[in-house]
Amino acid sequence: MAHLKLKIEFGGGLELLFSNQRTHFVAIPSTVPQGDNKGQPADINFLTHWLRDNLLKERPELFIDTGTVRPGILVLVNDTDWELEGEGEYKLREDDEIVFISTLHGG
Amino acid sequence: MMAEFCGNPAVEAGEVLMPRKRKFDRSRICVKCKINPGNLVIRHSVYCKGCFTPLIFTKFHQALEPYINHVSVGPRRGALKPSGALLIGFSGGLGSSVLLDLVYQRYCANVGSDNLKGGREHPRKNKVWQKIYVCYVEVSDIFPETSDRTAQIREAIARYDGFELIPVRIQDAFDRTWWERVSGGAAPDLAGLPFDLGGGDSEPVAALQTHIRALPTPTAILSTLSTLTRLLLLYTAYSVSASHIVLGTSLTSLSISLISSISQGGGFVVPQAIQEEWFPQFVQRTIGDTSWNGEVRLVRPLRDVGMKECTAWVWWHQLLVVGKQRIPVPKQTIGDLTKNFIIGLERDYPSTVSTIAKTVGKLAPRGDSRVRCVLCELPTQQFVQRWKSRTSIRSFTDDASSMDTATSSLPHYLCYSCHTTLTSKSARSTATLNLHSSNSAPALNLPMWAATRLALELGSEQSVGPGAPANEIWETKKLDDGGMKSLVGEFLLENE
Ligand SMILES: [Zn+2]
Ligand SMILES: [Zn+2]
Repeated sequence: MAHLKLKIEFGGGLELLFSNQRTHFVAIPSTVPQGDNKGQPADINFLTHWLRDNLLKERPELFIDTGTVRPGILVLVNDTDWELEGEGEYKLREDDEIVFISTLHGG
Repeated sequence: MMAEFCGNPAVEAGEVLMPRKRKFDRSRICVKCKINPGNLVIRHSVYCKGCFTPLIFTKFHQALEPYINHVSVGPRRGALKPSGALLIGFSGGLGSSVLLDLVYQRYCANVGSDNLKGGREHPRKNKVWQKIYVCYVEVSDIFPETSDRTAQIREAIARYDGFELIPVRIQDAFDRTWWERVSGGAAPDLAGLPFDLGGGDSEPVAALQTHIRALPTPTAILSTLSTLTRLLLLYTAYSVSASHIVLGTSLTSLSISLISSISQGGGFVVPQAIQEEWFPQFVQRTIGDTSWNGEVRLVRPLRDVGMKECTAWVWWHQLLVVGKQRIPVPKQTIGDLTKNFIIGLERDYPSTVSTIAKTVGKLAPRGDSRVRCVLCELPTQQFVQRWKSRTSIRSFTDDASSMDTATSSLPHYLCYSCHTTLTSKSARSTATLNLHSSNSAPALNLPMWAATRLALELGSEQSVGPGAPANEIWETKKLDDGGMKSLVGEFLLENE
């Protein structure tokens, strides 16, 4: 199966859910291997679920909420707000850098 | 066309798929420089990374600098002359971390250097504040499950030159030594009074724990901690001759606290939730005096900066965020529920949250009051118990109302919001707050400022309330349950 190499970073306390490690280099399947979207190119929604199943160590509800990234987490795709890139439907490319930063610290 | 209308029965049967809303208005090009591709969407507007930093600086100084001079003289930066020092209230959280950085970048970094080129129109960066303090309030002594983070906070602050940390502990509010220090010996002798106001004799941690244990709900615990923190910051600011306190309340947190405060009865003090002028109870002020007598102005310079912008600032400026202490309360509070709601709302309808802050911010209640609640020291309507009797259902056999109007009962000196915090919706009668505690009812421990004020009020006169003429007309509009619901309901339609 073909894979995509990605650089994943967690910030703002979110790294605590991922072995307290800020930077992860991962290789994820380049197409969705199973489920409703089987065969579709891997997008951020798929990546989010893949991270939950493969890297997340605790409290998944702080990362994923109703199928997507929890509100209050800022997602950057190659240093650009994912809202400019189609959010969860952004199709991942080799060597993309995806950053997840939690904003749930309060004032 | 027909085919499209009649198409896909599967979709029509179940979920009709809404077209995805775009989160930005026009193009992906930055609205400011109109050259660079955008990096961040802020309430439908696209900004590039290069324009983002000056944008936040502008929002920051526009929300702070017009309020720096004791009496406003004009918009020119060269004329900024605060009366006293600056105190930053620091929680370790997102907003206050960004605030700390902004204060440093604007008033401390490269001070005196000519890095802002230009002639007379652009005065050199000069030192505005002679002294900048950072105050952190530690709560860990009260909650054994939390750990003391003062060392981490000290480390975070040490990354900036020239800030002096003042560590405060939440139980200082009940500490006679602390009170004597910040008030300059204004603590009265509480021993001769016919009731126990707490704070004086017992150990501060135990006194605060007793106070907290007596609270009816987790929501009440959190709102008490936030009131104590606010007053600790204010009195600390006074004690170091600070004329200003800045807090890192973001637009998002402001909307959260406004909505949750209104739903807890804090409607009267909405203007103070945004900005506040405070002076210690023992400072005598003459009307019309424009000189500075130690008053403290509390400002929220991030009130136009959302949580998302704060997050982007932290990431792009590589700040270290210690994180805010999580208070271990047993179940979800009104604050939690409001927070989840507002943060979800901000993602799906980004402009609505700023509309909430702006709309609620304009609700200036009529009937400004010079009478202050003994506990939170915010302006209060007089005779809270009258308000209470209008808004709650009382039984005909309830004769507590006659007792409530006695000046010896604590409710007489409380605002609606503190009164609600100390009692629950219906579980407790205000009669348990009677200061003349019987042997069976334990005395209610009160923070030092409240104990002092009550001692003075009750010691000096017995017949009149907190400075209120007995025949004063209670003119402020009643905000009953229905009114409150419809006010909040404008924003909370979906879930309510
Ligand atoms: Zn730009
Ligand atoms: Zn109050």
